[in-house]
Amino acid sequence: MRNRSVAVVLTLAAAAGIAAFALASAARNSTAAAASDSPGYTAARTAWGDPDFQGVWRYEAVIALERPARFAGREFLTDAEIAQIEQTEKDQEARRLAGVEGEAVGRQSVAASPIRGNEYNSFWQDHGRPRKVYKQTSLITDPRDGLIPYTPDAQKADGRAAARYGVGPYESYLDPDTGERCLTDGVTGMMWQGPNGGHNQIVQSPGYVTILHEEYRDRRIIPVDGRPHGKIRQWFGDSVGHWEGDTLVVDTTNFVDKTHYEWASIWTRPSETLHLVERFRRTDADTLEYTITVEDPMTFVKPWTAVIPISRIPDGTQIYEYACHEGNYAMPNLLSGARADAAKKPTGR
Amino acid sequence: MDSAMPTWFKKALILIVAAIVVGSISAQLRSSRRAVGYEPARTADGKPDLSGVWQALNTANFDIQSHPARPALALIQAPPRTGVAGQVRATPTDLPAPAVRALGAVGAVPAGEGVVDGDEIPYQPWAAAKKKENFEHWLERDPEIKCFMPGVPRATYMPYPFQILQGTDKILIAYEFAGTTRTIHMDKVGDSPSPTWMGWSRGRWDGDTLVVDVTDFNDQTWFDRAGNFHSDALHIVERYTAVSPYHLMYEVTVEDPKVFTRPWTMRMPLYRRAEKDKRILEYKCVEFVEEAMYGHLGVVDPATGHANK
Repeated sequence: MRNRSVAVVLTLAAAAGIAAFALASAARNSTAAAASDSPGYTAARTAWGDPDFQGVWRYEAVIALERPARFAGREFLTDAEIAQIEQTEKDQEARRLAGVEGEAVGRQSVAASPIRGNEYNSFWQDHGRPRKVYKQTSLITDPRDGLIPYTPDAQKADGRAAARYGVGPYESYLDPDTGERCLTDGVTGMMWQGPNGGHNQIVQSPGYVTILHEEYRDRRIIPVDGRPHGKIRQWFGDSVGHWEGDTLVVDTTNFVDKTHYEWASIWTRPSETLHLVERFRRTDADTLEYTITVEDPMTFVKPWTAVIPISRIPDGTQIYEYACHEGNYAMPNLLSGARADAAKKPTGR
Repeated sequence: MDSAMPTWFKKALILIVAAIVVGSISAQLRSSRRAVGYEPARTADGKPDLSGVWQALNTANFDIQSHPARPALALIQAPPRTGVAGQVRATPTDLPAPAVRALGAVGAVPAGEGVVDGDEIPYQPWAAAKKKENFEHWLERDPEIKCFMPGVPRATYMPYPFQILQGTDKILIAYEFAGTTRTIHMDKVGDSPSPTWMGWSRGRWDGDTLVVDVTDFNDQTWFDRAGNFHSDALHIVERYTAVSPYHLMYEVTVEDPKVFTRPWTMRMPLYRRAEKDKRILEYKCVEFVEEAMYGHLGVVDPATGHANK
C-alpha cells in the first residue's frame, strides 16, 4: 500500500514534467519510502550470522500514534501538508538555534506542552533537530481509522489519566504516574518514546538481543534461542524472540497487572491479559521498521497494530546513565507541596 | 678447572644461560596472563567468551573484610546491667536495633572471610573514622536500602545474579539488582559527560583477561553494608578471567587518593548460574522502597490510610 502510493507520487511528479529538481525534492520529502525496503539494501549481519541491528536508535518522526481528528478518514498526508509540517520543523529549529526561550523542536508551541503553564518543561520535548516527516497520518495502521480500539472502561480510564496528568491530586507517592515515580513508562512505548531519554541501544550477542532504553534505564534481554516462555510475571513481561529471515519477531506474555497504578497513557500499562508481538526489520542502514501488535481484551476490544519508523543515530552516540530514582527530588517536593495546599484548605478533602 | 675454561667459552655459556633465563621468564609472564592455563571458549571474533549468568557466593556485600557473625546490621549496645545487684558486664553486648529487631535470624549477619588482599583497607585517618561512623549509621546511610544503583565493584558481589552479554564493540553487564546495566565500551568513546553511579567503563583484552577501567564515579555508593566508602576520585580496574567453564576469577583494584593511602585489591571467584535457561529477572526495587522513603511525606500515608501528622 505504502509502496504503491510512493510510486504514484513519483510517477505523477515525473508526468507533470517537473524534472530533476522536483524528483530530488520528492525523494527527500517522501520519507514514507523509509518504511519500505530501499532497493539494493542488504541487511548487515553479525559475526555469528544474525541480522545486525546494533547501534543507537531513536524515534524521530512527526507521526502521532493515533490519527489526529483533522486527518480523519485518510491514511496519508497531501504534499502540501508534508511541506507545511517540514517548514514548521525547520522554523522551530531556527528559533531554538537563535536561543528563543522555551522553544524546542518537536511540538507546535509551549502552549502545546502537556504540562500546563510551565516553560521550564519545554526542554524535555526537545528533539534537537527537525523531526522526519512521513506520509502516514498515524502510526496505527490497523484498525484503518488509526485509533486505539479501547473498551468503554479503558476509554474512561484514559480520559481520567489525561485530565490528571501533571495536575494531580497527589496525596501520596502512589498518585503520580509511573514515570514520575521513576518506575517506567511501559514496554510498549519504550521504542518510540521520543526526545527525553528515548534513545535505545541495541546490543546483540549469540542467542540474545538486548535493548537498553536510556530513560529509567529500562532494559530488555530478549533470548533468541528457541526457549519457551517462563512462568514469572513481570512489568516488562517475558519476551522470547526468533528470526524470520531478516525480521526479529518478539513474543511477550506474562505481564504483571499494573493497571492499579497511574499511567501517563493508559495503553502503555500492562495487565495479565496483555499479549505483545513486535517485529523489528532493518529497511535500510538508517531505519528500523518496528511493528507492534497489541492484544489485551482487558483494555482493547480487538488487537491493534502500529508501524513505527525508528531512526539510527550516528555512530559515536552513546546512551548515558539515567539516575531517575536516585535524583527524584520532584517526589518529596510534590508531596510537601500537596501537604501545604491541603493545610491551606483544611476542608478540601 | 675454571681457569682451564677459555674466555670465549665462558662468554658463550653466559649468553646461552642468559637467553634461557630470559626466555623462560617471558614464557612464564605470557602463561601468567593465561592465568591458569584454562583454554576458554571463544566468540566468533576469537575473544574469550565470558557470556552467561554469573554470581558471587560470598559475604562481601555484608563486609568486604573478614568479620564474625553478628545479630543485625543495625545494632544498639545493651545497657551494662546484669540483673545482679552491684555486678556490671565486663564486655558490652550488641543487640539488634529496634527498627530491625523483628527480623530475628533473617536480619542477622553471617560470618565471612574477607575478599581484600591482606584483609586491610588503607584508609586515611579521617576516612577510617568516617567508615566507623557509616557502620554505626548503616540504616540511615546505606544506599542499597534506598534501591540506589550500587556502584562498582559492589554490584558484582551483591546477592543477585548478573549477565555478561558480549556484543560486537560493547560488552554489557546486566545486573539484576535495581535493573542496572553497565556498558563496557570496547570501542573508542569520548569522556563521560558527568559523574555517575556506575562509572564510565572502558574495556580491553589483556591476553585472555577482560580488563575494565572505570572512572567518573560520584561519591554516593558504598563497597558493602559495613560502611566502606570512597570519594568521587575513585578509579577502579577490574580483571575478568575465565578459569573453567563454570568460574570467572574477578580481581579489582581500588584507587582513591582522597580516601586511601595506597591502591588496594579485592579478588573472588564468580560462579556460573548453571540452571537451564537461567535469566536475569526484573527487580524494580523502587516501588519496594517508596513507603520507607516517601510514606510520611504525603497528605496520606498509604500504609495506614490516614493523614500524615
